Amino acid sequence: MVHKFNSYKNAIYGAVLFFFLITSIIATANENNLRIAGSTTVLPIVSRAAEKFKIKHPNISISVNAGGSGVGFSSMADRRIDIGMMSRKISENERKKYKGQEFIIYTLGRDGVACAISSEIFSDGITALSKEQIRDIYSGKIKNWKTLGGPDKKIVVVDKERHRGTRHAFMKYIFGNPTARARGARLVSGSNNEEQSKIAQSNSAIGMLSQAWINKNVASVALVHEGMQIKPSIQNIKSGAYPISRDLDIVTQKNISIVARQFIEFLLGPEVRPLIEKSGYVPIR
Amino acid sequence: MALLSMALGIGIVAYLFWEGGPFIWNQGTQFLLGLDWFPGEDYGAAPMIFGSAAVTLMALIFSTPLALASAIYTAEFLDPRRRLTVKAIMEILAGVPGIVYGLLGVSLLSVWVRDVFNLLDGYTLFSASILLAIMILPTIMTLSEDAINSTPAEHRQAASGLGLTKLEILFSVALPHAAPGIAGAILLAIGRAMGETIAVMLVIGGLDRIPEPWFDVFSSGQSIASKLGREAAETLGSGEHWSALMALALILFFLVIFLTAFGNWLIKGFRK
Amino acid sequence: MTRVQKEKIFSGALAFLTLCACSILAFILFAVFSRGFAALSWEFISSEARDFGAKGGILYQIFGTLLLMFASTTICLPIALGTALYQTEYLKSSFWKKAFKIFMASLNGMPTIVLGLAGYLFFGKFLGIGVSWLTGALILAAMIIPTAHAAILEAIETLPEHYQETGISLGLKPNQRIIAVVIPHSVYGIITGTLLGLARAGGETAAIMFTATAFSGVTLPKSITEPVATLQTHILVLAQEATNPIALANAWGSASVLLGIVFFLILGAKSIRNRLTWELER
Repeated sequence: MVHKFNSYKNAIYGAVLFFFLITSIIATANENNLRIAGSTTVLPIVSRAAEKFKIKHPNISISVNAGGSGVGFSSMADRRIDIGMMSRKISENERKKYKGQEFIIYTLGRDGVACAISSEIFSDGITALSKEQIRDIYSGKIKNWKTLGGPDKKIVVVDKERHRGTRHAFMKYIFGNPTARARGARLVSGSNNEEQSKIAQSNSAIGMLSQAWINKNVASVALVHEGMQIKPSIQNIKSGAYPISRDLDIVTQKNISIVARQFIEFLLGPEVRPLIEKSGYVPIR
Repeated sequence: MALLSMALGIGIVAYLFWEGGPFIWNQGTQFLLGLDWFPGEDYGAAPMIFGSAAVTLMALIFSTPLALASAIYTAEFLDPRRRLTVKAIMEILAGVPGIVYGLLGVSLLSVWVRDVFNLLDGYTLFSASILLAIMILPTIMTLSEDAINSTPAEHRQAASGLGLTKLEILFSVALPHAAPGIAGAILLAIGRAMGETIAVMLVIGGLDRIPEPWFDVFSSGQSIASKLGREAAETLGSGEHWSALMALALILFFLVIFLTAFGNWLIKGFRK
Repeated sequence: MTRVQKEKIFSGALAFLTLCACSILAFILFAVFSRGFAALSWEFISSEARDFGAKGGILYQIFGTLLLMFASTTICLPIALGTALYQTEYLKSSFWKKAFKIFMASLNGMPTIVLGLAGYLFFGKFLGIGVSWLTGALILAAMIIPTAHAAILEAIETLPEHYQETGISLGLKPNQRIIAVVIPHSVYGIITGTLLGLARAGGETAAIMFTATAFSGVTLPKSITEPVATLQTHILVLAQEATNPIALANAWGSASVLLGIVFFLILGAKSIRNRLTWELER
């Protein structure tokens, strides 16, 4: 009879339903699971801290993902993750979207956003730029390095995804608007890593990068600010002299799990200070 | 079980409609023709639609001649064992993961394109189309080869009985017979090219703008799939930004479904 | 020029182009493996990734990829078997037959990013499983149903008529016939479908990018609702550090492992399929 096949089919449906029921229950029951995502600037700190934390608490699993400040915030606000990493403050639009929800922000350290250029351009003489010059480059008015006294090469203007914290800080200083448009952009990259890659691969690029990512292929220009040339060094960020600085934060909902609380306490504690410095940032305490 | 999978499919379509539909109603042509994509202010899909169309078209231009040549040669001039070998090679090529293409693109192809064409950088629509061309080559080749190979023997025999050489049989009998199948293969390849996300995302440059001038393929750009790959994580599930992305997904979805269905119809229909 | 000469030139040109097309694969294999060779070592495959992949190995990434592959294929097989049997044995109306074929073809051609997003919203959000390997496996299962379905269908359709007739003449009911006759014969197809499904699932990145994976901090998932690390997403992140030679070397190494896995799966499927063809030709 066909009903034999039917009962076979029903058994399958029943098993599938049961399966889903179980997983929904398990989903809510797993408390030793910590999810963190967001800014690639904050990522090195949290990732290293998580490794250290796990040695003391081997039964707690912490998964860390990148994605950018915007992704970190929205994932946390949607309760998909426990802790969001942000290298900027929560924007007005973001607060509006999650009206009524309260968020808690913890600051881990401070960082500076460097205006980064290909090392070849730096060694060819461009070592400092003013806000207006950078603005003209990003809006497409200046197209060649020779206009600024550098080599005769077209500028490869590297922009970043709009939600990224690094971009917000950079654009706020250059254009006065954290979500300004860069009409002169030629490429758009995502994480700090990708931006660093694109600048290093080219020999005439300019971009925005956390100063911790500066290396021998990617140089940072000093900013000409109020008559002085200010490099994005750790001292200048500490003292506040460097104009493009931002807090490195982690954000959470008001109510979080015990494990999350434990980890945040750890992050704010003395054991993580050397990790923050090792990652190239300024610890907050 | 069959019903389960159909329900799944219908569910996905329904969801896309639900999320993306209202957005298109509200914005209409402004969405489709808008030239600026700036979440929070403008949502213009034109650069993405242009990008998808441009890289797909170029991929076809690069890939089809090579694929057809191989298909003809394999179907007409190769003995069965070599034919199987070539088809096996094509099947393996089709199985290469997209991310491997992406890696090759970022570290080899983009540098090569930059150096050969003396560009500022190699992250361009052109680079993406080269990767896509390789990815769709097996599709076009195997399906066209099947089409040419299934020309009925009687037709061939009749032609050779009339004294035609292999070449002439090819052009006057086999190819016309295989034409719908080849067309179908191309349509399926278009569908595949439009849907490819990861490889394109890494080399296309990410700039949401139609190049100036519009035919400058060596400029950076954006495709629909690549846009979804880059931005979906930002607003997963809610908000205006999400609706806009879903609207984009809807456009892509319909394009691909239509192409795939039509392509399959051409191939299967002709096989009878 | 005589017609015969024309033909020789033409076929020569075509042969050359065919060789070019085939050598693309050789180029890709060579490019990946030659660069990955430097990074590959027992230590690489068996140790954990550290420092965002710049150091250490890819043990948990391999595990994650394999887990997703096998889980998705396990979920997909009963469904694909069911749909294939349903299509051949139970579907009689030609309207439904056509609709079903269109549906399968559409599912096959669906952009995987769309499938991933929609799948996450359904499995992850609506059913509450969240970003986890289970969500990824379910999405991948949906994605490879057409592949497995086609392979099984091919095997069923090559079942010689007289097997069915013998079954009917023995008085077997439809589902008894299925269990005793059709399924055993289509084992080759099931195996081929499994291998091809595995290969396709292993090659997929977009669908699992934000639905199933985490970049660091994951080892072995202790529950159904935890994300995993995979080779595909590992390569994705490392590819964005293209100027860091160590990271890049690791990317090539991971790509070699991934490509190797997929390569062998497809070869396996092909050789089984060839055996099937030869058996039938006897």
